[in-house]
Amino acid sequence: MNHAHVLYHMVRADFLERVRRYSFLLTLAGALYLAYGVITEKVWVVLGNGYRGVYNSAWIGALMAICCSTFLSLAGFYVVKNSVQRDRDTRVGQILAATPMRKTFYTLAKAISNFAVLAAMLAVLMVAALVMQWLHSEANQFSLWKLWAPFVLLSLPVMALTAAVTVLFETIPLLRGGFGNVAYFFMWTTGLALGAQAGIAEPMGMQVLFRSTRAALLQVDPNVRDSFSLTIGGERAVQRFLWTGFDWTVPIVLSRLLWVGVAVALALVASVFFHRFDPAYEQGRKAPASRPANSEVNETQSTVADNVSPAHLTPLAGNRGRLRFAHLVGSELRLMLKGQRWWWYAGAAGMLIGSLASPTADERANWLIAAWVWPVLIWSQVGSRETRFATQSLVFSSERSLQRQLPALWAAGVLLAIMTGAGVGVRLLLSGDRNGLLAWLAGALFIPSFALASGVWSRSSKLFEALYTVWWYVGPLHHTAGLDFMGISRASASPGVYLVAAAGLLAAAYMGRRVRLGYA
Amino acid sequence: MRLIIDKVSKRYGSGTLALRGFSLELGPGVLGLLGPNGAGKTTLMSILATITRASEGNISWNGSDVARDPDRLRAELGYLPQDFGVYPNLNPVEFLEYLAAVKGLDGTAARGRIDELLNLVNLTDVRKRPLGGFSGGMKQRVGIAQALLNDPKLLIVDEPTAGLDPEERVRFRNLLSDLSGERIVILSTHIVSDVEATATDIALISQGTLVAHASPEELLRQVESKVWEWVIPSAELAAAKQKFLISSTTRRSDGVHTRLLGSTPPPHAVAVAPNLEDAYLYCLSNYRAGAAA
Repeated sequence: MNHAHVLYHMVRADFLERVRRYSFLLTLAGALYLAYGVITEKVWVVLGNGYRGVYNSAWIGALMAICCSTFLSLAGFYVVKNSVQRDRDTRVGQILAATPMRKTFYTLAKAISNFAVLAAMLAVLMVAALVMQWLHSEANQFSLWKLWAPFVLLSLPVMALTAAVTVLFETIPLLRGGFGNVAYFFMWTTGLALGAQAGIAEPMGMQVLFRSTRAALLQVDPNVRDSFSLTIGGERAVQRFLWTGFDWTVPIVLSRLLWVGVAVALALVASVFFHRFDPAYEQGRKAPASRPANSEVNETQSTVADNVSPAHLTPLAGNRGRLRFAHLVGSELRLMLKGQRWWWYAGAAGMLIGSLASPTADERANWLIAAWVWPVLIWSQVGSRETRFATQSLVFSSERSLQRQLPALWAAGVLLAIMTGAGVGVRLLLSGDRNGLLAWLAGALFIPSFALASGVWSRSSKLFEALYTVWWYVGPLHHTAGLDFMGISRASASPGVYLVAAAGLLAAAYMGRRVRLGYA
Repeated sequence: MRLIIDKVSKRYGSGTLALRGFSLELGPGVLGLLGPNGAGKTTLMSILATITRASEGNISWNGSDVARDPDRLRAELGYLPQDFGVYPNLNPVEFLEYLAAVKGLDGTAARGRIDELLNLVNLTDVRKRPLGGFSGGMKQRVGIAQALLNDPKLLIVDEPTAGLDPEERVRFRNLLSDLSGERIVILSTHIVSDVEATATDIALISQGTLVAHASPEELLRQVESKVWEWVIPSAELAAAKQKFLISSTTRRSDGVHTRLLGSTPPPHAVAVAPNLEDAYLYCLSNYRAGAAA
C-alpha cells in the first residue's frame, strides 16, 4: 500500500467535502470579520497602561494571528468535527476498516485532513493580513516575513492541536456527541484562562507575544504596568509604541513546534480509542437509524414457525378526524426525554429542589443558570432529530406536519424549559415579581425557539450546542447586559428583546421547515 | 377514489431530469411500478407522497390538486419510503404511538391499531425491545406497520420487501392483496415476482418516462409466441447474446438452456409460456430501441 497516495486521497476527499460546506464559509466569514475588526479598531491587544503597537507588518501580523488562533481554535473545532462521524454514517468506515490501513494511520490522516481545512482558512486570513497592512499601515516599511511569520509559527501549531483534539473527541464515545461539543467549549475557555498565566506553557502563543512586546514597551516606559489583554470592543489603547516584531529564537520556535508534537501525539492517542468502526464498540450509540443495527436481535425469534397465514387488517373506522395537538405535544416531550439516564433526572430534580429551597434571589439565579444548561443536549435535537435519524419522510408526509408537528415540537421544548426552571418560576410567582417572571418566561420561550431555528436551518445539533453554550457563558453566567436571555439580574435582563427574538426565531424555524418541505 | 398524474416532470438542482411528462390515472387496486435502477420510480413515489414537488404537471387526488392542498392527500396516505430511519431508543410500540400522534390518531384508537399491526408484521414478541437493536428486515416491518397506521386510502410502498425473509415477503404480498380492494396501492420494486403476485395493474418506467401501463395479462399477451428456449453449447453463448435478447440462462449437462425473446426464433428453439419478467424485458428492450432510433 502506498501510504502517501492513500493519505493524499483521504485528505483531499475530506478537504473538498468540508470546504464546500456553508459552515466553512460562515466560519471563514467570522474570522474575516475579526480581521476587519482590527482595521476598524474594534479588536485590540492592550498592554500595560493602555498601549498598543504601531500598525506595522509585525504588529498587524501578530494581532491577526492571535485573533485567528483564538477564534479558529473554537469555531474551527465545530467545523471539522465530523470526519470520523461521516465515515461512520456513510458506512465508508466499514470499507476502510476492511483494508490493511492501520488505526494510527487513519487517525493521523484524519488529523491532517482537519489541519488542512483549518490551514486553508488561515491561508485566506494571511492574504487578508496583506490587505489590512495596505489599508491601515502606520509605518512605511513592509515586511512579508514579519507579517506572516506569526501565522506560521503561532497559529499553525494551534490549528494542528485543534485538528488532533477534534479527532480525539470523535474517537472517544463519551465526547463524540453533544456532550463533547459542550465540553470542548469549557476546555477552550480553561485553556485561554491558563494561557493568561505567566510561566505556564500554552498553545495560543499569548505569552510569546506578551514577553516580546513587553520587552519593547519597557524601552519606552520602564514603569509600565505588567498587563496584557486581547479585547473586543472593550478598553481602548490610547498610547502607541513601536514593536518591530518577534525575535524568533531557537527556544521560541521549538516551544511552538512542541505543540505540533503534542498534536501528533494526541492523534496517535486517538487511535487507541478508535476501533475500526467495529459494531461491537458502537453499542449504545444513537446511530442514524436508516443504517442496519449494530447489535441485531435474532430475527428468528419473531418469525412464525408454522405456515404463512393470510394477512387481514380491521378497517379503522371513525377514529380519525379530530387533530389532537396536546397528545402530540406529549408524544414529542416523551420522545425528547426517552433514553435519558437516571442521573439526568436526578440532576434536574436536584436543581428544581435547590431553586425552590434557596432563600436568596442570587442563589436562585445560579440554580436557574445550571437548570437551563442541563437539558442543552435535549434541546439541541429539536428541529434536527428527523434528519439525524432519517425519519423525515415518515414525519413530513403526515397531514399538516408543518402546522402541527413543528409547533408541537416547539411546545415540548418550552415545556421542558418550564419544567426544569419551575423552581425559580414558582418562587417569582409567589413573590409577585412580575418583571422577574416576565424575564423567566422570555427565557423559557427563547431557548426552544433558538434551538428549533438552529436545528431546522442547520439540520444538525452542533450549531445550537456551540452557540448556546457560548451565549450561556457570556450572557447569563457573566450577567452581560443584552446577552442575558434568562434575566438573571435586573440590570442585565432584556425580556422584551428576547420575547421578540423568540417569536422571530420561531418564524424562522417555520420558514425553514416550509422551505424544506417544499409544500405549504 | 381516483389518483391522476398528469404530465408530471421533475428536474433536480443538478439539472437531472428524473421524470419526463409522466401521466397515469389510477383507481382501487395494486399498481406495480417496475423499472430499472435510476428509472425515476423513487422520484415519482416521493412526489406522490408529497415529500417533493413536481417541477411541472399536476397530480390530483379525488379531484383535489395535491400541489395546492397536500394535506387532503396526506390525511389518507400511508407511505413506506425506500430509505427511512427509526428512533433507536424507542421500542416499536412507542415509535408507532409517536407516529400515530403525528398522523392525528387519538390514543385509544392508536393503541388498538398498533397491537393489530404488530401482530400482522410479526413483531409482537419484540414489542418492548429498543429499535436500535433491530435488524434491517425487522425495521422494514416496523416501516410497513407505520404506513398502515391511519388506514390509508392511498398506500405507497417503495421497495417494501427489501430485507424481508421469504416467509415475511409472502405475508406482505398477501397483505397487499388483502388491502387492495378498497384502496389504491402503489408498489414500486425491481423484484418482478413481487409484482407478479400482487399487482392488478403494471406501469413500466424507464428514463423517467412511462413505457407501458397495462394489466399483467395484457403485458403477457404482448410476448405471446415470442419466448423461446434454446439449448446451445457454452462456447456459442457469447455469440447468442450478441444476436438475441436473452432473459435467462441455465447450464445443464446437455448445454446452456437459454431463454430468449424475439419474433424470429433460431433453428431448434422451442416455444415456452411467457412470464412477467419476459414481458418486462421485452417492453424495455423495445422502448430503448425506439428511443435510440
